[in-house]
Formats: sequence, structure tokens, C-alpha cells
Amino acid sequence: MPERAAELGYDGPVIGPEQDFSSVSSTLSDLVLERPTPRWWYVGALISGAFFVLFIIACLWTFVGGVGVWGVNIPVAWGFALANYVWWIGIASGGTFISSLFYLVGSDWRNGVNRTAETMTLFAAAAAGMMPILHLGRQGLFYWLFPYSTVMGIWPQFLSPLLWDFFALLCYILCSIVFWYIGLVPDCATLRDRATKRWQQVFYGILALGWRGSARDWHSYKAAYLIMAGIMAPMVVSVHSIVGLDFAAGLIAGWHSTQWPPYFFIGALYSGWAVVLALIIPLRRFYSLERIVTERHLDVIAKLMLATGLMLAYCYLLEAMEPFYTGDKAKVTEYLASAFGHYGATFWARNTLNIFVPQLLWLPLIRRNKIALELISIGIVAGMWIERYNFVVSALAQDYIPSKWGWFGGTFWDWAILIGSAGMAMFGFFAFIRLLPVVSMFEIREIIHKRRGREASGGGRQ
Amino acid sequence: MSALHGLIGEFRESEEAAAVARELRAAGFERWDVYGPAPLEDIERATPTRRGVLITAVMFSAAVIGACWGYFLQYWDAVLAFPINVGGRPLNGWPGFVPSAWEICALFTVYFGFFAFLITCRLPRLHQPIFAAPRFERATQDRFFVCVEVADPRYDAGRIREIFARHGVIESSEVPA
Repeated sequence: MPERAAELGYDGPVIGPEQDFSSVSSTLSDLVLERPTPRWWYVGALISGAFFVLFIIACLWTFVGGVGVWGVNIPVAWGFALANYVWWIGIASGGTFISSLFYLVGSDWRNGVNRTAETMTLFAAAAAGMMPILHLGRQGLFYWLFPYSTVMGIWPQFLSPLLWDFFALLCYILCSIVFWYIGLVPDCATLRDRATKRWQQVFYGILALGWRGSARDWHSYKAAYLIMAGIMAPMVVSVHSIVGLDFAAGLIAGWHSTQWPPYFFIGALYSGWAVVLALIIPLRRFYSLERIVTERHLDVIAKLMLATGLMLAYCYLLEAMEPFYTGDKAKVTEYLASAFGHYGATFWARNTLNIFVPQLLWLPLIRRNKIALELISIGIVAGMWIERYNFVVSALAQDYIPSKWGWFGGTFWDWAILIGSAGMAMFGFFAFIRLLPVVSMFEIREIIHKRRGREASGGGRQ
Repeated sequence: MSALHGLIGEFRESEEAAAVARELRAAGFERWDVYGPAPLEDIERATPTRRGVLITAVMFSAAVIGACWGYFLQYWDAVLAFPINVGGRPLNGWPGFVPSAWEICALFTVYFGFFAFLITCRLPRLHQPIFAAPRFERATQDRFFVCVEVADPRYDAGRIREIFARHGVIESSEVPA
């Protein structure tokens, strides 16, 4: 193990003052090019790979046996698959939002974590994309959603949020890939130029597309990237709002409300911050990146998480108020049932993990304790899944007519798909941290340059 | 004389490269560029280009075309090709067509932006003549390079070397084509 770098402190600069262009280039590219694969990587990749295999088996079993291998039934026809879908797409949205919004507002801490956030987005969006297809039942006919009605004579209902969702998810995944890749091009050029092995030179050379770093090319790059960021930020808002509308347009008592788009989106951001934190805390430690992804980064994200958690608390209060304000008996019954009925445990688990426990983040002591921060983040990630589960299942289980009520419980295959999809995403993330730079090198160089400019204008030339 | 791509100078600091760029520009050189490991403001200001406007125009047009096409796709299906009267609701239910149209608009903008980026940079390419310059691999790590191409009408090796030298060049060398 290499020596651990000293921490900079939570009020310290966003990047170690000793870092310069060459140290950033060598530290981050050597992780990929030179350093032998660390043992923890094999362990992590093996475990997540095993769950990935479980995911493949569970998907194949679902294709063979149909959705009957899950616990879904009538009335609860939307089970794990939909909860997983909303959860994963939420995590993905959070990652894109960190990267795009904080690029637009010019936050310097964003450049240390955006690559992690975007990569996590990519794999989370892939996992999300699998869920509706699995859920279709007749998975082989998923292409009926495509609007090429001229050829097939099949007519999608364009006024349905479920079809908006198809467009939103498809466009979002495609855009995320480009947004992620364009950010990698200059870094792949650095790797190409530092590589000593032939296969590395060829591999990164192809990924770098022949990038030379000319000032005019940088100009093109920045113009395109800025507008992309400006598109991606509202895009994730729309994507997750449309997910909320899937439910709002349903006639189920617990769903038929206009409050879901912001409710879902805030939850999405919340889980996105939590996943980014849960990933970068171990990553910076294991890769000794304490001087590049500093405690400042953790502190900022923890504060953002706290703020988003308070917004989510407001959403939960609104959710509680609405049924009583309307006085609709079915809505009141459904709400009380979700809180105190068959699925009451999940209701209180979500409140505990998403609202009560994260209040600890008010204390600097907790924010500065990495283990506590990691545990709270993982708790939020789990809590968000539980929230989605409670939301999807409990509303369906207790709809208008009591004679129609019925319960749902996940089977082995339900859990296999949930845990397996996490395995798939983690496996992808492990592959990424071994093959590509975990922090965007050229964006860190920009920060170093800006800092030097400030020092020069403030303290005169040395 | 064998074919040349241009004359390249290596610099340690971005300020030096930016100063050279300003001087080349003032002297009326056209076919030159600065190479460096990050997009830095001083160099950007010293290098004239209209690519920002071009890319913005491409992306804006792509957004308009994407939005129109996304809307028309739905309009055509629901109003022209297969109209169904559901409870007397309007066939052209425009608010419901907006979300998909917006997603397609975003898709077009991002992809055309990416393509415009590639085309304006003349990428992808497997090889660039400038890669032959000594230590050019450091242009993506920590050094700055300024290269004036032979194709420049005012190309004059002696004069360019002089400009480079005035701003602390580490080494000037000729790049073969």
C-alpha cells in the first residue's frame, strides 16, 4: 500500500496547495497505467461480479418463467421492478445534476467528483433501463414502444406518461453517454501520452480520438460542453418529473396527485448525493486521493445532502397533508394504511433513514466523521429504495374498494433482481476505476491554474 | 528540403504561451495554434476563433429541429395518420406532446453538439502531424506548445524563432509533415 496522504481539513482548500499540473497528471494516470491492480479491487470486483451473474440468471429466469416468478399479483401489479426503476433513475439523475448544475454555477469542488458522479449515473441509468423492460412481461416486444408505427401498424399512445417515460429514459441514457464520454476525451489523451505499454497506447489512443489539446479545440470543447450541461440539468428534472407523472396519471387513490414530480425529483437528488458520497469516501481512501478529493468535497456534499433532506421532509409533510386537506375518504384510508397498516414498517423505516437520522449532519462532528458519513449515506440509499417500495406497493394494495385489497411480498427472484442490479452497477464502476481516471484531470488543472492566478493577483509575483 | 508541418516552440508557463500567441496574432500570422493540457482563459483570449458561435448555432438549430420533429412525429400519428376520437378530446393534445418533444430536442442538441465538436476539431484522427514534435506528449500533461504551420503566408522560421525566444522558449524545433 502506498503511504496515505495527509488530510487538508474541512475548511481547507478544495485541492492540496502542493498539487500542480504534473503531479495531477501523474497521480491520476498512474492509478490506471502503472499501479498494479490492488487487492481490494479484486475483492470488490469479484463480489459485485458474482451479483452481476445473479442478475443475469434472474433476468433469464424471468424471461423463461414470465413475471409470475416475482411476487406481483392483482391488485399489486407494480412491484419491485417499478420501485427499482424509480430508485435507479433517481440515483442517476442525482449524478448528472451534480455534474451539470454545478458546472453551470462554476463551483470549484464540482471538478473533483463529477467523473465519479457521471460514471455512477451511467451504470445506474443502465440498471434503471432494464427494469421497465423486465416488467413488460413480454420482454421480446419492448420495441413496440418505438414510434415507428408506419412500419408496424402499432400506435403508441403519445398522451400517456408511460410513453413519455420511454422517450425520457431513452434520450437520457443516450445523452448521459455522450456527456460522460466528451469529458473523458482530453483525459484519455493524457493517458495515451503517458502510456508505456503498447496496448495502452492503442486503447487510450482510440478513445482519445486524436485529441491534441489545441486552444481552438479547447474552445470547441468548452462551447459544446457548456451547452450540453445547460441541457442536461433541465433534462434530469424533466426525466424524473415524468417518472412522478407515471404515478400521478394513475387513478389509484395513493397516486392520483399532482405533487409527485417535485417529490420524486428531490428524492432523486437526495439518493444521488448519497451514492456519490458512499462511493468517494472509500475511493479516495483506497486510492490515496486525499489531496485531490479533499475533505472540503465531503463537507460540501454532506451539507447539500442535509439541505435536500429537509426539502424531502417538506415533501413528506405535504404528502401527509394532502389526503386530509381534500378529505377524500379513500385517500385518507390509503395514507393511514401506508403509515400504520401492512406496510407501516417501511413507512417508518423511510422516515428514519431519510429524515430523522440525516439530521445528525447538522453537527460538524458527524459531518467530519467519514465512517458516520458513509453509514448515513448508505442509510439514505436504502431509505430511498424503501420509500419507493412503500409508495408503489402500499398504494396498489389498498385502493378504493376494500374487497380488492391484497398484499405483495418479494420472492427470491425479486430480491435477486434488486441486489443483482446493484451488483451490475458496482461491477461497471469497478471496471471504470481500473481503466479510466477517477477524477477529471484537465478540470483539476483548470482549478490549479485559477488558484495560481488568484495568488498572483493577490500576493504579487513571487 | 523535406516537407514540413511547421515550427513548434515548447513553453513551461501558460503566460508565456499566451504572450507568444498575442504577438503572433499582432504580427498577422494565421495558421498557428497553442497546445496545452487544460482550457485556460488567458490562452483562450489570445487565440482568435469563431468556433464558439458556430457550435452554439449548430446546437441551437439542432434544438429547434429536434423539438419540431419530436412534436411532428406525435402530431402526425395522433392527428393525421390515425385519429381516434376519445370522449371528444382534441386530437392535437399539445400539452401532452410537449414532454416527448422536449426529450427529443435535448437528444438532438447534445448529439449535434458532440458532432459539431468533432467536426470543428477535425476529429477523430488516428494520427496528427504535430504528434511528431519532440516531447509533444507533455502537451496533454503539463507543458504548453505553440506551433506555426508552414502553410501560413507569413511563415518565416527566423522571425518565429525570435518571437519564441523572446518569451522563454525551452526548445524550438521543426515538425515534419
